[in-house]
Amino acid sequence: MTDEKKTTMNDSSADAMREQQLKSGPLLEVKDLQVDFTSDRGKAIHAVRDSSFSVYPGQWVAIVGESGSGKSTSAMACLGLLPGTGHVVGGSIKLDGEEIAYYKPKQFVHLRGSKMGLVPQDPMSNLNPVWRIGTQVKEALIANNMDVSHEKRSKLSKALAGSEVEVKTEGDETFIGSKELPDLLEAAEKQLVELGVTGTKLEKTMAKFREEWVPGSETRWRVASDLIKAGVKDEDAWYLAKKYVTGSSMEDRIAGLLSEAGLPDAATRARQFPHEFSGGMRQRALIAIGLACRPELLIADEPTSALDVTVQKKILDHLQMLTDSLGTAVLFITHDLGLAAERAQHIVVMYKGQVVESGPSLEVLQHPQHPYTKRLVAAAPSLASQRIISAKAHGEENAVVMEHRVDEKKLKTSDTIIDVEHLTKEFKLPRKKELFKAVDDVSFQVKRGTTLAIVGESGSGKSTVANMCLKLLEPTGGKVLYEGQDIAGFKGHSLLDFRRHVQPVFQNPYGSLDPMYSIFRSIEEPLRIHHIGDKKSRAARVKELLEMVELPESVMQRYPNELSGGQRQRIAIARAMALNPDVIVCDEAVSALDVLVQDQVLQLLNDLQAERGLSYLFITHDLAVVRQIADDVVVMQHGKLVEHGTTDEVFNNPQKQYTRDLLDAIPGGKLELGLDL
Amino acid sequence: MGKYLLHRILQMIPVVLGTTLLVYALVFALPGDPVAAMFGDKPVNEAVAAQIRAEYNLDKPFIVQYLLFLKNALTLNFGNTFSGQPVISQIARAFPVTIKLAVMAFCFEAIFGVIFGAISGLKKGKWYDSVILIVSLLLISVPTFVTGFVAQYFLGVEWRIFPVTAGSNPGFLDLLMPAMVLGSVSMAYIIRLSRSEISTNIALDYVRTARAKGMSNTKVTFRHILRNSMIPVVTYLGQDLGALMGGAMITEQIFNIHGVGYLTYQSILKGEANTVVSVVTLLTLVFVVCNLIVDMLYALMDPRIRYA
Amino acid sequence: MAENANSAITKEKPLETLPGQERYVAPLEETPLQQVDSVDEAAPATSMWADAWRTLRRNPLFIISGILILFIIVVALFPSLFTKNNPTYCSLEYSLDGSSAGHPFGYDLQGCDIYSRVIYGTRASLSVGILTTIIVVVVGALVGAIAGFCGGWIDSVLSRLVDIFMAIPLLLGAIVVLQMFKTTGSVWKVVLVLALFGWVSTARIARGAVLSSKNLEFNTASTALGSTPMRNLFRHIIPNSLAPIIVIATTSLGSYIVSEATLSFLGIGLPSTTVSWGGDISSAQSLLRTDPMVLFYPSCALAITVLAFIMMGDAVKDALDPKSRTA
Repeated sequence: MTDEKKTTMNDSSADAMREQQLKSGPLLEVKDLQVDFTSDRGKAIHAVRDSSFSVYPGQWVAIVGESGSGKSTSAMACLGLLPGTGHVVGGSIKLDGEEIAYYKPKQFVHLRGSKMGLVPQDPMSNLNPVWRIGTQVKEALIANNMDVSHEKRSKLSKALAGSEVEVKTEGDETFIGSKELPDLLEAAEKQLVELGVTGTKLEKTMAKFREEWVPGSETRWRVASDLIKAGVKDEDAWYLAKKYVTGSSMEDRIAGLLSEAGLPDAATRARQFPHEFSGGMRQRALIAIGLACRPELLIADEPTSALDVTVQKKILDHLQMLTDSLGTAVLFITHDLGLAAERAQHIVVMYKGQVVESGPSLEVLQHPQHPYTKRLVAAAPSLASQRIISAKAHGEENAVVMEHRVDEKKLKTSDTIIDVEHLTKEFKLPRKKELFKAVDDVSFQVKRGTTLAIVGESGSGKSTVANMCLKLLEPTGGKVLYEGQDIAGFKGHSLLDFRRHVQPVFQNPYGSLDPMYSIFRSIEEPLRIHHIGDKKSRAARVKELLEMVELPESVMQRYPNELSGGQRQRIAIARAMALNPDVIVCDEAVSALDVLVQDQVLQLLNDLQAERGLSYLFITHDLAVVRQIADDVVVMQHGKLVEHGTTDEVFNNPQKQYTRDLLDAIPGGKLELGLDL
Repeated sequence: MGKYLLHRILQMIPVVLGTTLLVYALVFALPGDPVAAMFGDKPVNEAVAAQIRAEYNLDKPFIVQYLLFLKNALTLNFGNTFSGQPVISQIARAFPVTIKLAVMAFCFEAIFGVIFGAISGLKKGKWYDSVILIVSLLLISVPTFVTGFVAQYFLGVEWRIFPVTAGSNPGFLDLLMPAMVLGSVSMAYIIRLSRSEISTNIALDYVRTARAKGMSNTKVTFRHILRNSMIPVVTYLGQDLGALMGGAMITEQIFNIHGVGYLTYQSILKGEANTVVSVVTLLTLVFVVCNLIVDMLYALMDPRIRYA
Repeated sequence: MAENANSAITKEKPLETLPGQERYVAPLEETPLQQVDSVDEAAPATSMWADAWRTLRRNPLFIISGILILFIIVVALFPSLFTKNNPTYCSLEYSLDGSSAGHPFGYDLQGCDIYSRVIYGTRASLSVGILTTIIVVVVGALVGAIAGFCGGWIDSVLSRLVDIFMAIPLLLGAIVVLQMFKTTGSVWKVVLVLALFGWVSTARIARGAVLSSKNLEFNTASTALGSTPMRNLFRHIIPNSLAPIIVIATTSLGSYIVSEATLSFLGIGLPSTTVSWGGDISSAQSLLRTDPMVLFYPSCALAITVLAFIMMGDAVKDALDPKSRTA
């Protein structure tokens, strides 16, 4: 499977594709769709209202919007898989011209898998833990009576494939079987030797064959064309291909599908259970399942949102390559504008259950017209090119100064407020003798009144560093200095004093507030712990803090379960601010939030910093956010510090490959959007 | 898997030791006097009492008593009853009957519990779901001995479908009604458990994914919803098999079945503390072994445990 | 390939749009833009308990069982309000007589008034159920909370202890102990024995609840605010672990009443001098073929009482179950 072969989308074929798309008409056409949910009390809740969009064969169409905008609901309506009480109440959904909006469940069974596939959102919950991965792929093949020995092609890809290699008969789409593969390789080698190919060239060619001829995935005509490219005569190549490529077994096909989805060592992996897979690997298995029956349309519901950016990029690249070569159309649901801009030709923006704007993706995102789209584009972190500047602190005169400045007075006392020296943390893993080094010799300084961001993917040890800085974990080696004092020595009063000055804001806005506490009690808690003020003065302080985070006073009597994620996070910030701290440690504080809300919280954090000269230790996996808020950056990988520098240095001139990979993986990072804003 | 098994067996040993010690201590170390209890309402004959105390090592320190009991128990020597019969021979007569009864009850509750639970969970909100729920609620609320009497009166006395009592050497038909009575409460619990498991699982993501593959509703139901819902049900069932043997006492009493429960009850009436301790110890062992089997089954059904 | 696709998009020449995919902008009046993340100030404030109470109030199961339980409690406290007959006054001349004025259920074998015995029997069953539940919850929750909160060897020791008690079925254990006190004792004898074998299931649940709320982020947050572990335990962990304990307490109350009746039925529960349903059922069992109604009345009272508590347990579970609350 080489790239050249998969490249079907060069200029001439783009035209051919367009012609084909025009001829066949839209594959999926949704018109004025209305979806309602029924509440507990029997009231109808309109989840989707009058939404229209269409998907052409072979096209990537993105639906973007915040959570609750109805984007997933619209897609699930197409599959007939609306959750709970959801049902289509109006409009039409046409698949290949056939009205399916009011299909019965039984009728949908015939469409799913073979006509429409699904790649779901959360890789952790979408595979049944009790069945082997291979079995779960097999279910899809069996349910649709798939012929496992032959490739099935969409009309579109058949039409496009014609321009490259001549695929004459059905038989040319036969897969290699694992039984015949050794013989085929042997025969191919013999053939090459006969042609006089020797030495390293022979080895290279054979290695290439071995890598590419995946049983259950590589077809006869590809084998033939590979042989022809290696110099074998047409006749002989086809003779060999016909003789040895005679179809694959179910096991071969399963392994072939999994390896197409980018799973290494697929035959062995197919026999494993989901819990033995990482998130990225599970997502690949789900892609294999979604594409197993070669659907015309693949619905991908936030397929990579739960994954690290570098993994996300790899998987999406792979998915795009696969769908392009198969001629599969993709309806791609995402909250990430950058991703949509980068991957989709057509974009549909949804807000409160309605389509507010749609059109060619680049055009829409470069010249957004609807105020909501404008707002989204303005807030999208992946598109930001510089640090947020707080107008509040700088005042009008400073509004022109495009640089974040630190209060000079504060700098006098001491330059650094937190000094991390050779910090190391080892954990004992269950049932393993050797210790696991979660953090390995990390050193950095947080300068007073600035933000230092620690960036890394899951497992990089960044949160462990944060917890050690908060003295919630004891380091195995090295030390953390706060105002020049080693925090390991803090006990009793000095510890309480330290806690007063260094406050956390955690990632999970649902977990960090006690559900049994009213908002008032939550914010008041630190004041009580530190015995500050009396009842009246504490109440006044809580009001003041709520005002600071721009929440109405009426919120005080409420409980966390009534507030949105962003509101809870603002409450958490208010609580952290209650004691007037110097340092706030934000552990993925905005990661779980929608773009607009995230932007709002970042603005708030930034305003507070500008007003009060706070220092932030900002832990995140999202480099785009770093650009918006940080002055210095520490990049971590596998517990080690990879790179440390100012934000501009790291972004403009990354020194290490890993940093470059991370930067590359920012979706849409290289696109310039929101040109009119 | 083998490692897991070994681990569980090793974990079982302190539990077995602790449990037998507890049972023994409850009988022989509590303020009540088992020897006095043997005499029932009759005055205590001190000479006989001393003889009994010596026979059961009750004159020795408690821990020695227990160790001697344990040593004897390992060789299945549980001593003699008041009338001089070896306890083990009584147990050997009673156990097969109870095992037969418990296994029948087990099959009854497993089959009907799962079937009704599945119907009710898959068709939540339908009228028959409500009926099944109400019946299971009633079965849980009504004590077994009441259910027993009701069944005995209607099925046995009034309609003569089943024999009213089973007697000392019961066959399959004799035990059918007692087994149903014995299994009824657990059946109700299984219905409720399966129902709640199924209605939780039906909305899970992987079920949706399975549907998205194009699998038919029947296949999704069996391979994904029921298969996964059965894991906690099997756990419950396994633990219940042990509990059924112990719980058979009431049923055996009502239907006059000469099993372990009947033996225990008669021994209680006659004040045969030794027999009671022996039987309860054995039943506890059965219970612990059943739990071990459940753990194995659990590991078989859930690969996450097996490979952990 | 992905590179190619990108370059295809980023190329300056804009691709012509396909029919139906032209640029569309919704008129602003259709979806008026709302403030980002605004608070709905109109909604009423609800704590978890208030929320649970609202759910409960709307549950017919709760209303029915609540009324039943209230009624049962009143009967247990003031039996003389419901009957003027003395339940222990028996006269063989009335043996097995049918119902008559003032004696709606008739007489049993001993010639006692069944109706008054049923009324007076309520107290025994209910007090055993309630007292056992109180002891079980206090002991079980304490042991479970300590095990879950302390962890380490304390947890190991306590968990093994729980395993040992778990291995003895409630009824068997109770029989072993009670066979020695057949004729003596009071309600407390049964209560203590049931509690001795009943506390483990509550301990197990309490341990699990404490363990899961111990690991929630708000505890870490509180620690970072300067809170001590003990303060966390009492201010955060215990309040957050109460729901499952309340659920099991309500449900098991019914099962303790069943166990008491069963023990009394076997003749080793409450002493025969105490008026109890289990005892009456036991003495009536020989009348099954001839006078089933003598057996019927106390059984019915027992079943209704247990049903009321089990229904209450179900209702409370629905209201407090974290699974149904996360929606």
